[in-house]
Amino acid sequence: MSAITTAFGLVFQPSVLVTILLAAIFGLVVGAIPGLTATMAIALLVPVTFFMDPVPAVGAMVTCSAMAIFAGDIPGTLLRIPGTPASAAYTDEAYTMTRNGEGEIALGANLLFSVIGGLFGTIVLILSAPVLAEVALQFSSFEYFWLALLGLTCAVFIGTASPVKGFVSLFIGLFASTIGLNNPAGVPRFTFGNAELTGGVNFIAAMIGLFAVSEIFRFVISRRVQATPQAVVGNLFRGWGRMIVRYWRQQVRGNVLGTIIGALPGAGADIAAWVSYAVSKKLSRTPEKFGKGHVEGIVESTSANNAALAGAWVPALVFGIPGDSITAVVIGVLYLKNMNPGPTIFLENPQYIYAVFIIFILANLVMLPLGWAAIKGARTILRIPREILMPCILMFCIVGAFAINNSTFGVAVMLVFGVLGFLMEENDIPVAPCILGIVLGPMVEENFVTSMIKSDGSFLAFFERPIAGALGVVTLLVWSVPVLVGALRSRQTAIPREG
Amino acid sequence: MRVNDAVIGILLLAFAIATFAYARTLPAIPGQEYGAAVFPMLIAVGLGGCGVLLVASGLRHWQGAVIWSDWARTHHAWTKLAVVFGLVMAYILTAATIGFVPVSILILLVFLRTMGVRWWVAAAAAIATTMLIQQTFVGLLRVPLPLGLLGP
Repeated sequence: MSAITTAFGLVFQPSVLVTILLAAIFGLVVGAIPGLTATMAIALLVPVTFFMDPVPAVGAMVTCSAMAIFAGDIPGTLLRIPGTPASAAYTDEAYTMTRNGEGEIALGANLLFSVIGGLFGTIVLILSAPVLAEVALQFSSFEYFWLALLGLTCAVFIGTASPVKGFVSLFIGLFASTIGLNNPAGVPRFTFGNAELTGGVNFIAAMIGLFAVSEIFRFVISRRVQATPQAVVGNLFRGWGRMIVRYWRQQVRGNVLGTIIGALPGAGADIAAWVSYAVSKKLSRTPEKFGKGHVEGIVESTSANNAALAGAWVPALVFGIPGDSITAVVIGVLYLKNMNPGPTIFLENPQYIYAVFIIFILANLVMLPLGWAAIKGARTILRIPREILMPCILMFCIVGAFAINNSTFGVAVMLVFGVLGFLMEENDIPVAPCILGIVLGPMVEENFVTSMIKSDGSFLAFFERPIAGALGVVTLLVWSVPVLVGALRSRQTAIPREG
Repeated sequence: MRVNDAVIGILLLAFAIATFAYARTLPAIPGQEYGAAVFPMLIAVGLGGCGVLLVASGLRHWQGAVIWSDWARTHHAWTKLAVVFGLVMAYILTAATIGFVPVSILILLVFLRTMGVRWWVAAAAAIATTMLIQQTFVGLLRVPLPLGLLGP
């Protein structure tokens, strides 16, 4: 019990609460502005959290990401431009509702079911993480190797249209992680005698480049039309009771699916929303209403994207394997704060885990009043001219990348990854696997090399322990399924041609 | 600006071969088979494999080495990209000697003007943002942003 009391003490301090509040407002504004994503909000926030204690740092990131995912719904509904990719699945539906004069119902549903979805995901996190941690305590380097590999594999296959391009991104990230002295042998690799490179590629600088600077590049070449948003009149809370009763099935389904997809490594809130919207349409009694301003699909998918956020923390806290690019960064920050994620943290520092749980609940509860205020202030937020905003963001990126080691080397890393991220996205190569590769690379390598030394170079040892064997088989299955499906498809298309 | 997959594939393949060759030169841990070279070599093999697959798929859908998207045909989009790149480079090269405050104001002014923001708005935004960053990062977070000319 004492750990829980300590946790409450850690969270309920004026400085921590103010940090959470500021992070919430920051997340709402960034999420609501089209072109600025939730991941970008985190990338801009990380250099600041870098200087904080563990609990406010994690609190700021949890709150900021939850708010940004919800706030992405606001411009989607009012302008038909999703604020974050996680809202894209139901943007058309929500905008149609606004044009039908039901904007406040759409936004009200977004707010209500974002909160419920977030709380549901949190409960799953609270209940499942300690149980999984018990199991994870018995893991050795073999299991961790497979887990990390499975995580990277999912990142490649789930989030991308072309697995080959996903792999390209992943290998680029893994390559970047090998630069420097940080390897089991302690040998400088790919440093070419440069002293700065021996420290390796800093993941925060890389992330600012991949998710913020590349976005600035994309902004300067885009043809901008800053539309005036529709006004929201009327009562946001209208019909809340009716919606909960009428769509309880959709909501529960969205919550469950969102949490599961979030927990899968590599798949985050955006994929959860797309899948949930599709499932909702498929299982609906009135699928013909979808796309014509029907709230049913919005309920299900807006629940899912916020549930996914908490779900992603399950593998992150228990195994140190990120569920999406946001938790990838969070894991990196946890390591910096000596809060190394993994099952031992549940034994050694349970108060931190409880503090994270409390912050999750708190973040979802403050979303109600702050979300309401954001919707009411939406017209002002959406009128901020992006020509002015983007240059200021660039300056924050530069200073953030500089602040990590107080060196312009960080700024150079940021610029390289900014250009790389821009070129990758232009050519449909996803950037998320790259950041997962940078964060997970050292873990994969260490566990692989340790396991190979332990087993005297026998690959069979990777399958000898029961859990390792099962994880290995699952990983190999995930690799072979697309190949099999491809082969089957080509056979099926070949047969009619022959006949 | 879509570069054909085959071109990307060839670039990746070349990079993978160079990585592999470099990784082979890494010293082994005495008495152990698996040292610093194993992991980079595996990555090189993977990257090279992706390169080959991309070359194959790129040649099947060959429509020229590069397909220029709408923005890439316009001259001012390239200028703006170059400006952003140049401004970050300028910070890397000059911030230590000139100092954060003047460099930041200049970078912001140039960027804002490039985006077509009016002079007085650009000046106000540049000064306000620089002051805000100075206050939070130096005042609150104690980041030693370069003083440059303003320093002792």
